Amino acid sequence: MGDSAIPLLEIQELNKSFGGLQAVKGASLALREGNLVGLIGPNGAGKTTVFNLISGIYRPTEGSIQFCGEEITGLKSHQVAARGIARTFQNIRLFKELTVLENVRIAHHPYAGYSLLDSVVRTRKFRWGEKRLAEEARELLATFGLQDRAGEVARNLPYGEQRKLEIARALAMQPRLLLLDEPAAGMNPQEIESLMQLIELVKERFHLTILLIEHQMRVVMGICQSILVMDFGEIIARGSPHEIQRDPRVIEAYLGRQAGQHAAAN
Amino acid sequence: MQFLTRKNGIYTIATLLTYALLQGLNSAGLLSNYVLFIVMVGLTNAILTVSLNVITGFTGQFSLGHAGFMAIGAYVSAMFSKLIFDIGPATPFAMRGPTFLASLLAGALAAALAAYLIGIPTLRLKGDYLAIATLGFNQVVIVLFNNLDFVGGPRGFTAIPKLTNFTWVTLLTVGSVLVMRNFVWSIYGSQCVAIREDEVAAESLGVNTARYKNLAFTLASFFAGLAGGLLAHLLQLAHPSQFTFLKSIDILLMLVVGGMASIPGSIIAAIALTILPEVLRFSQDLRLVIYPVILIIFVLYNPLPRIKHITDQVWRRARTALADGNGR
Repeated sequence: MGDSAIPLLEIQELNKSFGGLQAVKGASLALREGNLVGLIGPNGAGKTTVFNLISGIYRPTEGSIQFCGEEITGLKSHQVAARGIARTFQNIRLFKELTVLENVRIAHHPYAGYSLLDSVVRTRKFRWGEKRLAEEARELLATFGLQDRAGEVARNLPYGEQRKLEIARALAMQPRLLLLDEPAAGMNPQEIESLMQLIELVKERFHLTILLIEHQMRVVMGICQSILVMDFGEIIARGSPHEIQRDPRVIEAYLGRQAGQHAAAN
Repeated sequence: MQFLTRKNGIYTIATLLTYALLQGLNSAGLLSNYVLFIVMVGLTNAILTVSLNVITGFTGQFSLGHAGFMAIGAYVSAMFSKLIFDIGPATPFAMRGPTFLASLLAGALAAALAAYLIGIPTLRLKGDYLAIATLGFNQVVIVLFNNLDFVGGPRGFTAIPKLTNFTWVTLLTVGSVLVMRNFVWSIYGSQCVAIREDEVAAESLGVNTARYKNLAFTLASFFAGLAGGLLAHLLQLAHPSQFTFLKSIDILLMLVVGGMASIPGSIIAAIALTILPEVLRFSQDLRLVIYPVILIIFVLYNPLPRIKHITDQVWRRARTALADGNGR
């Protein structure tokens, strides 16, 4: 073993079948601390399934997932989250009827620092805990430029801000690994631009490792250090954005066989 | 310690003043025992409705078995007060209060334990399926008490000592509501609300949804059991027919009229809907028509959430006027 550092996330030979459909076939990947990796592929390639497997929503049929060198395969979703893996969802899953502040405050729950009894009799500890929760939630919202929206109901935010809020909420649990499922979906070019800056900013500020699913090539090529390409449940290529753009298998997956052969000939 | 925030302190003082007024009027012979009795039933219904609100309004779990937990509380507390402590005219006065409280606590704990055990398998179900499972549980409890001979079986558990009085009901209602309110407005309650809003998202944020659903269910059933115990010692009777799923539906009705996730709404609706059939007595058989019509109108044009909205605004203004935001 040349490299002694344990990868933050290591997936080996992961398989997932739904009845006769094999959604993920023998996927392996390793993420090192501080990486920003893109996961791309045509629709139905199995990208979101990989996310659901990592975050414990699905149980893999075969294979193992290790986080910080510990086995997390088959853990429940909330257990995976407690270990430090946060995620966002393709079809935004905010607590829609709650305020923006409340969304972030709830995600901060492991750091409340008071017990059930404290909350029932409202001890001093409870008040300090609540004060800190609200302060930290506000601070996080400020990082995302959402401080003026704190009192608004999440449902009423414009689409781009709902996406931002979902990322802010995921960060409130102070994760080490962040899984972003199509953060730029449905955004206009200006919003995409500010999203890219935001992702890089939070990655630095919160010392995050990020795995990102995205269809917007501008985002993937612009900020990812390396890229994994999936097609029909398999990882067909991996490398730097530059390499991926020229890989004939990738071009074939996206544009069909002839295009792929054409690219290989060049 | 700040068990009471300023706002709740004012509500509590108002409640205690009302209590003193009613009690005083009753002692002076200006208020009949009948009216006081209806108010007491209304207050136990308030505990039941607020507790169902914790399960359905805040945690978003549709339960139709609340009367089952109430039954467990009623029967178990009566077993303690009548069969174990044997509280009667011979019991020294100083012992009545503590033994009564102990009996109520035993009933409430039994209901909570039942809820905890039932919750483990059933709370995995969602929506209608959970409703049917809890309904089934309610039925099981009824059948059980119908067939337990030492608590009277189908004749009902009779001659329970009359220990519930207006003072007990008021104090325990205020205490129960405050405990549930404080639970709901804490990070623990927030996690329950997160489950209601989006279970998958809550899980992804590390909320142990199975645990918090069961916590809400157990806590709420504790108070349902307490209300059952109070009622049994008020009526001096616990009968299986009092706790059928129709009672569960009654509680749900009070909850819906009062507004989901509104504690003041639950209290107002529970008391109002307890008094309403009594007020309608003048109309004799017609009240069976008038009562449902009033309910339909209420559900269509529910004014209670709006009332809450207005009181909230008044409070917000009062608070900014005081320029102090200590506690919520």
